Order: sequence, then structure tokens, then C-alpha cells
Amino acid sequence: MFETLKDILVNKLKVSPDTITAEATPEEIDLDSLAIVELSLVLEKELGLAVSEDELSEAGTVGDIVRLMDERSARV
Amino acid sequence: MSGFEAAVTGLGLVTPAGVGVRQNWEAVCSGVSRAADDPALRACPVRISCRVPDFDAGELLGQRRAHRLDPFVQFALVAAKEALADAGLDPETWDGARVGVVLGTADGGTVTMEQQNQTFLDEGARWVSPLLLPMHLPNMLAGQVAMEFGATGPNLVVATACASGATAIGTARDLLAADRCDVVLTGGSEAMLGRVTMAGFAQMGALSRRNDEPALASRPFDVDRDGFVAGEGAGILVLERAADARARGARSHGRIIGHGATADAHHMTKPHPQGRGTEAAVRRALADAGTDVRDIGHVNAHGTSTPLNDRVEGQMLGRVLPGSPLVTSTKGVTGHLLGASGAVEAALTLLSLQHRLVPPTANLTNPDPDIDLRIPTEPTACAAELALSNSFGFGGQNTVLVAAAP
Repeated sequence: MFETLKDILVNKLKVSPDTITAEATPEEIDLDSLAIVELSLVLEKELGLAVSEDELSEAGTVGDIVRLMDERSARV
Repeated sequence: MSGFEAAVTGLGLVTPAGVGVRQNWEAVCSGVSRAADDPALRACPVRISCRVPDFDAGELLGQRRAHRLDPFVQFALVAAKEALADAGLDPETWDGARVGVVLGTADGGTVTMEQQNQTFLDEGARWVSPLLLPMHLPNMLAGQVAMEFGATGPNLVVATACASGATAIGTARDLLAADRCDVVLTGGSEAMLGRVTMAGFAQMGALSRRNDEPALASRPFDVDRDGFVAGEGAGILVLERAADARARGARSHGRIIGHGATADAHHMTKPHPQGRGTEAAVRRALADAGTDVRDIGHVNAHGTSTPLNDRVEGQMLGRVLPGSPLVTSTKGVTGHLLGASGAVEAALTLLSLQHRLVPPTANLTNPDPDIDLRIPTEPTACAAELALSNSFGFGGQNTVLVAAAP
């Protein structure tokens, strides 16, 4: 799932691939509040995963976002 | 204020004639129109435009930055980088509080708005991008330039339709004269080639309908002209007080020494039939420069290639300027860059004075017999020290700048 998220961050939000690690914070990969909303929309549109912008805002790291995605996909 | 000299110490151009000042100067001197068939406009009555060639925003600005910017801001950032490097100014070391940004655009992020409107219609409101407004708002043009270069002085965007870029330059000069800042990044940018917008221009009857011969479509002052060809791009100028520029040993492309701004107060789109507002703008600009009509040796006309503009402007210039200056419209090559045109053409006017060469008007094969002007069809030597750059907008907003040789 980490690779799936990385792929979306790189190809849809154009985040620089070298910055994306499981430990990186949203700030470290240049995700501001607008990009968080954008990511929430892309996750739903591309993967059918409903992860709200509030949940993404509370995620401390990329790894936390991956965990949210894992939870949602298990539920599907 | 009269005679206040703003030195132009840096130029940057991104236009259908190329990315970079040198490329633009060579292209406009070639006299070859850049208008071409535009596949993105397939559903429109007019399917030709002038697009910026070989512009890779991700390469020039970084993928992440480019992703969050409408083309109208992308063009301006690239042109501003060129202009600052040309001026020899380093945003790492300057006092940003004394650096202003004054830019013009007619419409802002047109293409982003059109794309997101399509998303709304096709998929629903909840899929509209959160970046829509930050990418679309016209004022983002100056805001993004400030963010890129740490310019924290006065920051604004002006809108006078197709005069916007020239209005911005005149306003920037006013800020320098009033000592509100020491350096101003000024000019205009436009990226209005969205299909809804272009359909709107076509419905107005403003565009040339030469879909089958695009290279002949933009033909200012020609008797067979039938409308303009819309273009996109940006022109950025670095302005400083002439004394400051001299004191830091900066090279100058020339000076902006006069600015006249008027309104026709006549009609939404048609110029006043006797050119009342545009004539007043020329006279005010000359008075502001403290110069006489006889001193003007060159005019970069608004010259859109529409039947009405070129007749009214051409007759006004013939009436007001008795010295038979060399007149050109570089829109024959570049197309009409709308809110950017006044800035791009101010830059080209300065380059004409600097190179002592007036670029030709493309496609002028049969000059309109109702217009009595000297309009070269080849690059023509010109010893002028002073020139006018005219820019007139829908809504009857007129701006004339007086440029002086270095």
C-alpha cells in the first residue's frame, strides 16, 4: 500500500519521489491543507478508498496515511 | 511626476514567438506569423490560436510547483526569472520590502476554471479541485511572483482587458515616482485559450475566421483583415528609478518616461469612432513625458487586426502624429496576447529603440487605403529616440506608454 500511495503522490500530486518515506511528515513532502483535500479526492476516485480530509490531517506521517488506507481497503 | 524616468533594467518574455527575449526579438523581426491550427479548439467556430511553443512548465518550474499553477502564472514566473537575471538582481540578497509586483491580466486562470467547470458538470460538485480558486484568482499572478522571489512590497494585479499589461507598467512607474518601492517587477500574463472563452470571442465577431489559412489570419492594418488571433504568454519588465539604476551600474534597456490612461466611456467593445479616448491617452502620455508629438519616431500600435480597432487607431495615429513615425503591429507575428500584450509590446518597443530597428507587420500585403501610415513590411532601420506603445481594452480602457532609448 505504501507503493500505491507513493505512486499517487508522485503521479497525481507531483510530489518529489525522493522525499517520500514512511517516516516523512506531510509538511516534509509539501502537503498543505489544499493538498490534503486533493489527496482525499484522489484516493477515493482512483482507489475507491474513503479517507476523509480530517483523518488525513491528523496523520502524523506517510506511514499513518498508509495505515488509514489499509484499514479502509480491508473494510471494502 | 512629469518626465519621471523609470529605467527598464530587465526583460523577460514567454510568447508564441518563443521562450526568451532573444528568441522573441528574432521571431518578430522575421515577420512570420505564429498562428496555427489548434486541436484543443476543435469544437469552436474559430480553431486557430497562437500558443507558446515548447513550454514545459514542470521542467522550468519543478513538477510540484507547476502542478499547482495555472498557465497564466507559469508563464509569468518563467518570464520573471529571465527578467531578474537580466537585471542582475538577486532575490537572495535584496531588501524584499522595497520590491513591488504590479502585473496585469484580463482574465486570470481561465483554463483551470473551464476544466473544473467540466468536472462539476460531468462528475458533480464534490469532485471540484480545492486548487480551483488558488489557481484561478487573477491576483494570484502577483502573489505567486512575490512568493517565488520574496518580494514583500506593494503587490497588485490590474485588469483593463487588453491594456492590462501596459496599465501595470504605468502603475509600477507611479509607485517608483511616489517612492513606495525601489524595484518593481511589472508586466502582464494571459492564458485564455480555453474553448468556452474562445467560443465567446468568436461569438463576438472579434476573431479572424481564417481557419483554413491560420498563418495569414493575423494581418494588422491590411484591408483584408477580419479579426484577431488569440495568443497566450507573459512579458515582465524590471523597473527602477533611473538614478538608482545608474548608481548601481545596471545596464538599461531604455526608460518608460510617460504614461497616459483614459476611458472612451462609449461602448462595451467598440472603440469610439473618432478615437476620442485613444487620442486623449496619446496626448496625456506625451504631456506626462514632457515631450512633443514631433519627437515620436516609432509606434508599436495596438493593431489587433480587427476591422474596427485598426481603422480607428490607424486614423488617430495619422491625425495626431505629424512626423510620420514608423508604425508596426507585432501582433501579426505573435497574435493578440490580450492582458499580456501591452507588456510584451512595451518590451518589444524598447528593443526596437535599443536595436534601432522596427520589426515588420506580418501579412500586410494590401494596406488599408483608409489608413495613411508608414508601416514597414521588412525590418526597417529607425533612429528614433522616443516611441509609443499603445494598448486598448474592451470596455474602452486605453493606455499609452512613452519609451525612451537607453
